[in-house]
Amino acid sequence: MEPTENPSRELVLARIRTGLAVPVHGSGTPALPRPFFPPVLNPLDRFRLECAANHTEFVPTRDPESSAAAIAAVLAELPTGEIFVQDAPQLRAMAGKWSGRSVTWSGKERPKESVQATITTAEALVAATGSVLVSTASGGRGASVIPPVHIVVAQVEQLLPDLQTAVGFVRERGILERSSYLCLITGSSRTADIEKILVLGAHGPRRLVVVLSGCP
Amino acid sequence: MSAASEFLRSAAQKAADLNHRKTLRHAIDQYDNAVQRGRSRFSDWEAARQRSHEIKREAVNHLDKYLLQFEQNVKARGGYVFWAETAGEARNYVTDLARKHGVRRVVKAKSMVTEEIHLNPALEKAGVEVFETDLGEFIVQLRNEPPYHIVTPAMHLSRGDIAKLFHEKLGNVDSDDPQLLVAAAREVLRSAFFSADMGVSGANFLVADSGMIALTTNEGNGRLCTSLPRIHVALAGIEKVIPRFEDLAVLWPVLSTAGTGQAVTCYNTLVGPRRADEVDGPEEFHIVLLDNGRSQLLADPEQREVLHCIRCGACLNACPVFRTVGGHAYGTTYQGPIGSVLTPHLRGQEFDHLSSASSLCGACTQACPVKIDLHHHLLQNRRNAVAEGDRSWSERTGFRLWRWSVLGPGRLAFLGGAGRTVLRILYALGLGGTVLDPLRPWTKIRAVPKVPSRSFRSLWKESNGAD
Repeated sequence: MEPTENPSRELVLARIRTGLAVPVHGSGTPALPRPFFPPVLNPLDRFRLECAANHTEFVPTRDPESSAAAIAAVLAELPTGEIFVQDAPQLRAMAGKWSGRSVTWSGKERPKESVQATITTAEALVAATGSVLVSTASGGRGASVIPPVHIVVAQVEQLLPDLQTAVGFVRERGILERSSYLCLITGSSRTADIEKILVLGAHGPRRLVVVLSGCP
Repeated sequence: MSAASEFLRSAAQKAADLNHRKTLRHAIDQYDNAVQRGRSRFSDWEAARQRSHEIKREAVNHLDKYLLQFEQNVKARGGYVFWAETAGEARNYVTDLARKHGVRRVVKAKSMVTEEIHLNPALEKAGVEVFETDLGEFIVQLRNEPPYHIVTPAMHLSRGDIAKLFHEKLGNVDSDDPQLLVAAAREVLRSAFFSADMGVSGANFLVADSGMIALTTNEGNGRLCTSLPRIHVALAGIEKVIPRFEDLAVLWPVLSTAGTGQAVTCYNTLVGPRRADEVDGPEEFHIVLLDNGRSQLLADPEQREVLHCIRCGACLNACPVFRTVGGHAYGTTYQGPIGSVLTPHLRGQEFDHLSSASSLCGACTQACPVKIDLHHHLLQNRRNAVAEGDRSWSERTGFRLWRWSVLGPGRLAFLGGAGRTVLRILYALGLGGTVLDPLRPWTKIRAVPKVPSRSFRSLWKESNGAD
């Protein structure tokens, strides 16, 4: 598409600058920032508690092999049909455990509407809010929102204490430079638009499962 | 009918509708409990408010700088930025885009700015089918109503109302179980998501240093709108820009705590133009930056901070007037205290009356997570309205008389005595509340007061001597 003609750009900027030239009341110097969240002392315990509160199914495992078995157990409960899996070495290594399912690997297109589940990795996990941080590197935009069940496979080293450290991590790793989409997922899709009653599975996944290896 | 008399009529009607008040009260009680729990997660909620206030203040006080930075970064990522001075310009940009790309179906994530500019009717006029995909918005769209509340659009409806609506409009719905109602909406909207050509969203924040928009949702509809269609257009007021990505570590939890009581909402997403190496996402990303009167507020030495608003809805839920008359009575896109402050700036003097629909109790100011001094702004709007000559002849005369009388104790005693005598005679004749009653605005729907036979002054004199 050719550049858009936008005569209002200069006009709006000029109006903003005229407005900003007016001295305003009460623009004091910023106060010294104080911490406003209590520190997270035990990230793993906290993550477990927050998951329970936000309806994330948390499955701690010892090692990747038991993670693969845990995923197989979740898949066994689901109706027959295709699953969509992020094309990542650690997930390729687990695929033997899910034989019997037809698998589409990420890399060509988004998951079909009819997939029964998706399996992806995450950029990080956040203990204070019980959240999973994904980017387009986690199987694309659709992988974590289209399916009815989203299974996240992670290692305990990926657990960050709070949001402050999570945004620092994103900056440090340059995730926004290599990805056009970043999502902090906290629990499965929900709505309380009807009489403020909580209903899970509004438009996105009804179930969010986090399989975390390396747990004691 | 003027907007002011329409408001009075509608407010009186809603205040007397006990079913409506019951539904509203139930929703706000749930909200109050959730927010109380949400705030208890903070060790220092006041510090979080202060920090949020400062982030927004920095952004608004350097709005040109951060908008230009945002624009530059969006363009560097391959997106398009359009500046719209008016609602009409923003509408035309989106409808032109739809026409150019042969768009036949649009899915929309929740966006108050698109309500402000009346985007849906414009798209429909251009032959485009529009689906609101947020459940609450979907419900009010089916009812052909504007959103009732900036965060909870269908707050005024009980599940019975919604069941009846779905039964009429969608068929196949015979239950008022929220689970089944949500499933019915999901089914309709799933097919819309997968067949739409264009996704339209708002933006909770425009992140200047990253060239991405931040979207806060629970249902996942915002993510589908920005992932599945070929084209994504986001619309946002110019005041939505924030300096840094890191600011979200403060603003995300503060917004959700004030908005719904959640620690963070379910999906906090950053969206930018799809990269060449990515397998899914829209082919084009457009962002419309809307002024529509906002730059005028920058020039207001008292009210610039109104642009700090993050549209969480907390002031609506806290307001005793909103809790009584509800959202539709306002007749505005933005309801409650923030709407009463903002609307005269966006839509002119015709909405000055809303600033009087307040007891000035300050509950809104206390609730505001970015510390906007809302009730003082309401007071300033009243003063400005008076200065602009927005007073009736009787009000002007009344206040002149009052001023004259309080400047002399004798005059006050004389007028007080005359007033009591007149009222006593009128009420004795049974004329209380009629057009002859000077206190008619009060007495027409209330019992007439008992008029004392003696003034406070004379009682005081009697028990305390001449002084």
